[in-house]
Amino acid sequence: MSGLESLTSHHDVDLANLAAAGDRRAFGELVRRHAAGVRSLLRRMGAAPSEADDVAQDTFLTAFESVSEFRGEGAFAGWVKKIAARLYIRRIRREKRLALLAAESAADEAPIKLTDAVTRMALDDALIQLPPGERMAVTLCYGAGMSHSEAAEVLNLPLGTVKSHVKRGLEKLKLRMTTPETNAASGRLAHG
Amino acid sequence: MVDLEFERRLERDFALAASFPDDVAFCRSVDARLNQDWVLRRWLIGAAGVTGGVIGASQLLMNNFIHRVEALSQGSSKVLEAGFSQLRPGVTLLGLVSSDVLVAWVAAGLAVVAIGFVLTRVIEEI
Repeated sequence: MSGLESLTSHHDVDLANLAAAGDRRAFGELVRRHAAGVRSLLRRMGAAPSEADDVAQDTFLTAFESVSEFRGEGAFAGWVKKIAARLYIRRIRREKRLALLAAESAADEAPIKLTDAVTRMALDDALIQLPPGERMAVTLCYGAGMSHSEAAEVLNLPLGTVKSHVKRGLEKLKLRMTTPETNAASGRLAHG
Repeated sequence: MVDLEFERRLERDFALAASFPDDVAFCRSVDARLNQDWVLRRWLIGAAGVTGGVIGASQLLMNNFIHRVEALSQGSSKVLEAGFSQLRPGVTLLGLVSSDVLVAWVAAGLAVVAIGFVLTRVIEEI
């Protein structure tokens, strides 16, 4: 029990080093710390809860297999989230759902009105309203910490398409997540 | 146009992950799968080791290996005896020990080393 208590005080990098040496308890502590982040990321990417949990489990198993490759140059959270994002995209590609992401914004998408932003919306609620491609691109770049190029590579989309998805997605999120007063003050309100 | 302040806020919001009611169950399931993989891997390694051992032992027996080792050890002990008798005539150290006993001692030593490896591994696993 004291061993477990001492693990909670370790830094992620130390735990990763212990896990790389075969200490599964240390890796268990990493799972405990980052499970919610990974599960949230996958749901924000568009995965259903059960699917997100399946991919999250595979993510941690993959991470344990390759934990010796984690050098501690970035945060462990970012490293494991990138693994999760890649696994999820591989899964939807296998199930031929990835084509949806390449499409530009749907023509019948409801236009964003100024009144939509009267109530400040939480990130998750705002993300749900984005088209799949924009949602995925924004989540990969701001949730999984990927560059536009990395996102384009994993999505197998042209870089320009990803940049366009991100730009549009951000504009819509900003409109939905900020109050009209804030937008007016910044003078940079995106009208869609 | 999206400003940097909003982008930073977005990154912060993404980094904040609400805890799930089944977080503990999820972590347990990951741990169980890790253990399951580990047990399976150990069984596979063990099975591969046993198979390799059986094949190796059968090959040794089929090639009359033991007789060859005895012959070799007898030959080498004679050479050693000759060497020692040249160094210190009158004292035949290896003459006190027959070649069969010598082979048995070497085998026992190797067995002790092997047991040591096995015990170390078992203790690490525990």
